[in-house]
Amino acid sequence: MCLVQARNLIKRYTADGPNAVDDVSFEIYDGEIFSLLGPNGAGKTTIISMLSTLLKPTGGTATVNGHDIRTQAMAVRRSIGVVPQELALYAELSAAENLRFWGEMRGLGGAALGGEIKEKLALMDLTERARDRVETFSGGMKRRLNLAIGLLGNPPLIMLDEPTVAIDPQSRRYILDYVKALNQKGTSILYTTHYMEEAQELSHRIGIIDHGKLITLGTLQELKQLVGEHEMLKLQLYQSEGGQTLTEAVGEIKGLHRASANDGEVTLNVDAAEEALPEVLSKASELGLSIRNIEIREPNLETVFLHLTGRALRD
Amino acid sequence: MRKLATLALKEVKLAFRDVGALVTMLVTPLVLTLAIGAAFGTGGGGLSDVPVLLLIQDAGPMSQIVVEVFTSAELADLLAPEIVSDEAAARSRVERDEVAALVIVPPGFSQRIAPELARIEETLGIDLLDLGPAQTAPFPEELWPEISRLFLETVEMDEDPLVVEVYASPNWRISAGVIRGILTQVLAQINTTTQGTATIIEALLTRGSRDGENQDIDADPFLLAAEMGLDDTTATQLPVRVDIVSPSGRSFRWLDYSATSMAVLFLMFAVTSGGRTLLAERQAGTLPRLLVSPTPALTILTGKMGGVFVTGLMQVFVLWGATALLGAYWGPPPGVMAAIVALVLCATGVGALISAWAQNAGQASAIGTAVTLIASAVSGTFFPRMNLPEWVQTVSLVTPNAWGIEMFSALQSGQGLAEILPFLGGALGLTIIYYVAAAAGFRRQFR
Repeated sequence: MCLVQARNLIKRYTADGPNAVDDVSFEIYDGEIFSLLGPNGAGKTTIISMLSTLLKPTGGTATVNGHDIRTQAMAVRRSIGVVPQELALYAELSAAENLRFWGEMRGLGGAALGGEIKEKLALMDLTERARDRVETFSGGMKRRLNLAIGLLGNPPLIMLDEPTVAIDPQSRRYILDYVKALNQKGTSILYTTHYMEEAQELSHRIGIIDHGKLITLGTLQELKQLVGEHEMLKLQLYQSEGGQTLTEAVGEIKGLHRASANDGEVTLNVDAAEEALPEVLSKASELGLSIRNIEIREPNLETVFLHLTGRALRD
Repeated sequence: MRKLATLALKEVKLAFRDVGALVTMLVTPLVLTLAIGAAFGTGGGGLSDVPVLLLIQDAGPMSQIVVEVFTSAELADLLAPEIVSDEAAARSRVERDEVAALVIVPPGFSQRIAPELARIEETLGIDLLDLGPAQTAPFPEELWPEISRLFLETVEMDEDPLVVEVYASPNWRISAGVIRGILTQVLAQINTTTQGTATIIEALLTRGSRDGENQDIDADPFLLAAEMGLDDTTATQLPVRVDIVSPSGRSFRWLDYSATSMAVLFLMFAVTSGGRTLLAERQAGTLPRLLVSPTPALTILTGKMGGVFVTGLMQVFVLWGATALLGAYWGPPPGVMAAIVALVLCATGVGALISAWAQNAGQASAIGTAVTLIASAVSGTFFPRMNLPEWVQTVSLVTPNAWGIEMFSALQSGQGLAEILPFLGGALGLTIIYYVAAAAGFRRQFR
């Protein structure tokens, strides 16, 4: 079942400004983790803002759980939990008070809300600090509470907007594990990040976004195939004029798919970089070339992004 | 409705958990109330041509001294006195705010302020107060027994003080205080003179029985007074008391005035700050999070402003209680409660208006502070409104401060809920205008 269906979404903040989101279409299916991967400013938060009805699209539309984001905002909001990138908490209130407040804003109350507050505090390992003011919490604890609030009411779709920004590795691990566990219980998740590793680890499908455009979308395997499932062996020579010579010399080695040279930098796409490396070094020695640096890269989303945009994800 | 209550309660919690906000809301106005009450306890200056009516119902010489002082060249710049004879008409002019006050010197004033001297003068037909250099000889010896008898009879009289009434408009508070101050000074001076004279007479009576001793001193009362070390401290108890009476029966006190005006001032600080938090929440991300919860924007806005309103109510009620413990009088409780509710509603309208149209929290904070201070200055927080130019008084009616001060002044001068209904209406009308203007800004923000 398709839980989110975005069709040609466009968002322009000013009439004559650029499109922050430019003709984006995708689906999120029931029970999947769908990640939007892209650098800061790519348009990820704007997409979440439109899908959560905070912003009205300039063009296009979307449905969430079957409800139109333009005309059925309240129904959409009841179907989602949003975990914003900012720590949207009241620092002067305690963790329990925050959960109660946000729970009541979702329309929860009574014993059910009380039970859920206890459950969420326990899940986020915050029970001991339930009565402490949030202003006394560490960054990681605040992030966990921020996440817990988004889960109140157990909505079918959770939108997580860069939930691991600026936290310690332990809290990051905690959140990633919890997202996976949550998904295993059947909750669908829209996850935005600029961390390639998170998208790789969590996602069933990934959309890569840059400058407001969804440049590709698919499973990790599908995306890797875009650059070919080859490893990349990159060598830097001391002799800048030797790159082309070495490229020609290694043309016959086993498993080589592509060889290119740029001044003193030689890039080889091979089946197994470690197997090819001794032979490449031998050829270089025969030609009297000295190696300054060797780099082996396995295909990943970084290489996909590099392949598709010509620049690194964190540029 | 439950969400509204939740939102409002959250606002109240946040306000009362902020130590800085508590200091602004409660501690500072209390300290300022006490400081101003102490500094201006007897009235303030900066006045000129204060219109004052003098109704002299006493035929004796002492009341003429009062007239002479009020019409003296020294006070010509400060006072614009007018002698009147029709008490009802004079009171009516005060009630119409045409003059600051009516001073009523009652019949028997001279007799009461120096009863022994008046009785001696009246009975024996002499002027005991003519102690200047012109009188070079002591009183005739044959009068001594009679002076002695009359003096001793009179000084034993023990009556309640006579009241000189200063019938003052509540809108001319400082002026009334100044008039009372002048009158008190005059009476104190008269008292010093008459008490001194009485003491000299007493001494003369005692010495009259002795032969030829200190003839020079006996002949010159000034020398005698100097020998006896008479000075102003002789007159510590006035036989006449000065009361300021407003048309509705209560007199002005700076403590009362500053308690309410400071409460209004710091209420404005609190509510404009409360309104600012809407923009702060937008920047912090909690407002967007609220807006993606299944809660309508109007509920969020109403709940938030409701919280600011409840916080303001609590602030003013606490200040009312605290200043009452310090002795400040706000007025009859039903009227005060109605005035507080109307005032806080109106003030939250200003907070809403600023937060609706400001671009960010910093801008809202700066605008809120400027609006609060300007509104306070023009509305009579620091000076009574009637002492401000007419056009300033008119302009100030666009501020909650002006309506609040009008309401509390009326209540403090003895008026009740019924009398302040027009002010309540004015404040509520202004509230509607503020919220309508704010609604347009909020529509722009939440579009």
